[in-house]
Amino acid sequence: MSKRRPYVRSMDGWWRKNPFYVEYMIHECTALFVAAYAFVLLVGLVRLGQGEAAWNGWLDALRSPVSVAFHVVFLAVIAYHTYTWFVIMPITLPPIIIGGKTVGPGVITGGGLLAAVVVSLVMLALVWRIV
Amino acid sequence: MEIFKADVVIVGGGGAGLRAAIAVAESDPALKIALVSKVYPMRSHTVAAEGGAAGVKKPSDSFDYHFHDTVGGGDWLCEQDVVEYFVEQAPVELTQLEHWGCPWSRTEDGHVNVRAFGGMKIERTWFAADKSGFHILHTLFQTSIKYPSIKRFDEHFCVDLLEEDGRCQGVVVIEMGTGEFSMIEAASVIIATGGAGRVFRESTLGGIVTGDGMALAYRHGVALRDMEFVQYHPTCMPVTGLLFTEACRGEGGFLVNKDGYRYLQDYGLGPLPDKPKNKYMELGPRDRLSQAFFFEQQKGRTIEHPTLGSVVHLDLRHLGEAHLRERLPLIYEMAETFMGLDPAKDPIPVRPGVHYTMGGIKVDGNCAASLPGLYAIGECSSVGIHGANRLGSNSLTELLVFGKVAGVAAAKNARSAAPGNSASLLKQAQAIEQRVMALKTRTGGTERIAGIRKEMAQTMEDGCGIYRMQDTMQATCDKLAELRERFKNISIDDKSSVWNTDWLTAIELDYQLDVAQSMAHSAINRKESRGAHQRLDGYELRDDVAFLKHSEAYYVAGGAPRIVLGDVKITKSQPAARAYGAAGEKADQERKESNV
Amino acid sequence: MSENHKIIEIEVLRYNPESDDEPHLEVYKVPFSDDMSVLQGAQYIKDNFDGSLTFRWSCRMAICGSCGMMINGIPKLSCETFLRDYYPSRIRIEAMANFPIEKDLVVDLSGFIEKLESIQPYIIAKEPRTLEQGEYLQTPEEFNRYIQFTSCINCTLCYAACPQFGLNPDFIGPAAIALLHRYNMDSRDGAAAQRMELVASEEGVFNCSAVGYCSEVCPKHVDPANAVNINKTNAAKDYFLRFLSPKGGSK
Repeated sequence: MSKRRPYVRSMDGWWRKNPFYVEYMIHECTALFVAAYAFVLLVGLVRLGQGEAAWNGWLDALRSPVSVAFHVVFLAVIAYHTYTWFVIMPITLPPIIIGGKTVGPGVITGGGLLAAVVVSLVMLALVWRIV
Repeated sequence: MEIFKADVVIVGGGGAGLRAAIAVAESDPALKIALVSKVYPMRSHTVAAEGGAAGVKKPSDSFDYHFHDTVGGGDWLCEQDVVEYFVEQAPVELTQLEHWGCPWSRTEDGHVNVRAFGGMKIERTWFAADKSGFHILHTLFQTSIKYPSIKRFDEHFCVDLLEEDGRCQGVVVIEMGTGEFSMIEAASVIIATGGAGRVFRESTLGGIVTGDGMALAYRHGVALRDMEFVQYHPTCMPVTGLLFTEACRGEGGFLVNKDGYRYLQDYGLGPLPDKPKNKYMELGPRDRLSQAFFFEQQKGRTIEHPTLGSVVHLDLRHLGEAHLRERLPLIYEMAETFMGLDPAKDPIPVRPGVHYTMGGIKVDGNCAASLPGLYAIGECSSVGIHGANRLGSNSLTELLVFGKVAGVAAAKNARSAAPGNSASLLKQAQAIEQRVMALKTRTGGTERIAGIRKEMAQTMEDGCGIYRMQDTMQATCDKLAELRERFKNISIDDKSSVWNTDWLTAIELDYQLDVAQSMAHSAINRKESRGAHQRLDGYELRDDVAFLKHSEAYYVAGGAPRIVLGDVKITKSQPAARAYGAAGEKADQERKESNV
Repeated sequence: MSENHKIIEIEVLRYNPESDDEPHLEVYKVPFSDDMSVLQGAQYIKDNFDGSLTFRWSCRMAICGSCGMMINGIPKLSCETFLRDYYPSRIRIEAMANFPIEKDLVVDLSGFIEKLESIQPYIIAKEPRTLEQGEYLQTPEEFNRYIQFTSCINCTLCYAACPQFGLNPDFIGPAAIALLHRYNMDSRDGAAAQRMELVASEEGVFNCSAVGYCSEVCPKHVDPANAVNINKTNAAKDYFLRFLSPKGGSK
């Protein structure tokens, strides 16, 4: 009879055991904020379909101090989400080869972040001119 | 006791064992193969080989050149017919490995590339960066998975061979995870357990390199041949002994003493050429380079380091970071991690360390030992290609060429052998189990395993180092006899069954003491200097009249081994002066002229 | 070693299946010098204090892959981790996370080995070639496509780093998928389609949630997370190609 008795350790609370996992859980959770803001925009779309009064009511709600505070928080969280998204990006892509050399992870992350900043600024400029 | 019936059992899952297993499987898929290894095969010490594997590749090279480099490098103690076969098969086997997926480094046009190595006239070392052994081992292990007839016994420890009717007919193993014994019956037994360098103190070797298979065959009356020839690799990390591959020099690295002087030019390896030149300076053979270190130390020209001891510098700085990262990535990382150095900016302190056992289980050109049914391959064997000094990069090729030879021979033998008497084999196996269990269960011992091991390693270094003297060798022989006695009083802390490495380490130490004795007694008996066996007590010269002979050590229970001298097979290369550098070139020229 | 009597406390997670119900910590005071690795610390304990302390090791130079353990909670090779970097704090060593403990620092690797065997880790030639025809040619581009993924030493630190493997031990996991990818990417091999079934299976790549810690702890920079995630894309492509083309997809 074998005297083996392998001991299996519990996985309970695994994500608290390593700072890397804690960070992973935080950045995964920020996805909820992305989803929540998509919901806010969806509500706007629905209100637009309901006529001018409804649309203006929605715009007024956005201008309330609570909403502004809420937007500041969301901006910070989603900026962090964007940052972590591009940090992970190099491990999700096949090697990108330019001029016979593989593009390094730093370049991919940096390029992604730069693109996000540029797109955000362009959007901001467009919106500012319309208003 | 569990019983497993195989046709061929292979002990050792390194490069040689895996190559043999594949050869058996390919030669006859109906044969059952048991592959026993005390570690998962990819942990085997083949993994640590760095530089590469030799095989003729360039149009400017020839089998004849490889033959002469090998025989001259071995100081004419090689079996020349075996070397002839070896050099011819080398490129075939290396190509086979390429077909199996080995990531050999390539030239720009997509062909396999070759690099320079010590003692080789033409570049012929196939390499996979500086992880050649690692890639060879993993390629073989992964390829072996393709063959359903190979049943692996991973983390199984072999404790004895079964011998019946004058034939070897199987092995007894311990499953390390449970501590339980099994008997594996087989008409052919191949030993591929690697070297025994851990009997020394400062070595390049992994903890598993304990000469198990050598001791097993030896105890069954098979000779251990040429055991006095132990290779010191000239460029090892001080204290730990970790290896800085010869490829460092193949790529153009220098060895310098405390004055920044390339001292090898004072030891028959010069004069200093303008650019790296094969068989000159740093591209000389390992025995000569390690011996040169010894004399530099005697002259007080080594660097005295406060914690590392006496060292010389391996200087790679002129090769540049990009080249080093591409060709020697492992070396680069090791220097950074273990020594806190940047090889592109700092010279690396190195000294010689034990690296390889040229000798081993005496076998013929078919890898068959004197005990019918028993075969041996790789570092544990002495098939006769290394002689008194192995050339770097011949041993990885040896695993492949002779792994295949042994596999084919063992398969043939298994097909024709008469079936064994299982009942009487089992009885034998049970007696072996009792004996091995007694070592664990006995109480009252006072000798610690580590204590005896340390004393053994120290006395081997003292008596059987780079240079040897009668009185220190005698002291080593006496000390080993004393340790053999004291081993009887060993204490084992761990009495459990599951993963009892305390017990297994004790069994390994028992093997090591036997192998150490065969080395020391073979050494003291050889009253000449040849290859890696160099004396400073009146026997400084090679003596072809008395000692152009193999040493064969035979086991004597409870006593010192019996050493006899055996003949050396010479076909086309008569012993001559062994010269390198300009002197070597001149000798080559003279040989050529006399042959015309 | 004797000149400087620095002493470090090493706390070891011990487990003897024949006498313990569960693992417990034991502390040893180990004299050390600056060049000593954590592995040498463990060896010191075994040689001098308790011969029953059990761990795997061999090469001492980070190539055999035997000596992985959790060092202060981080998966590392103990041979290339140095005691000096932790002194004067106490250092804790434990068996690799996510694997069952057999004894002390030794874990059960049989599941990992079965996974390695399952991925067909050998060349299945695209164009068979005889030895007389010589070697296959590989351009530097072809070579660079797979070489990184050949560097895996099977140390399984990536499994100790992967919570998804901890939660679902059937997940093929980082190293085995990296090896699978290595063969798929090799110009000599033509069996990527055969391996696809496993990639897309329930044990396959979609267990991975891109934690990415496997690549972080890999001592050989294999980047197994990259191999896993590239194969997610491949599996998705393969899935949709099955609808689009009668020839597309692996099955």
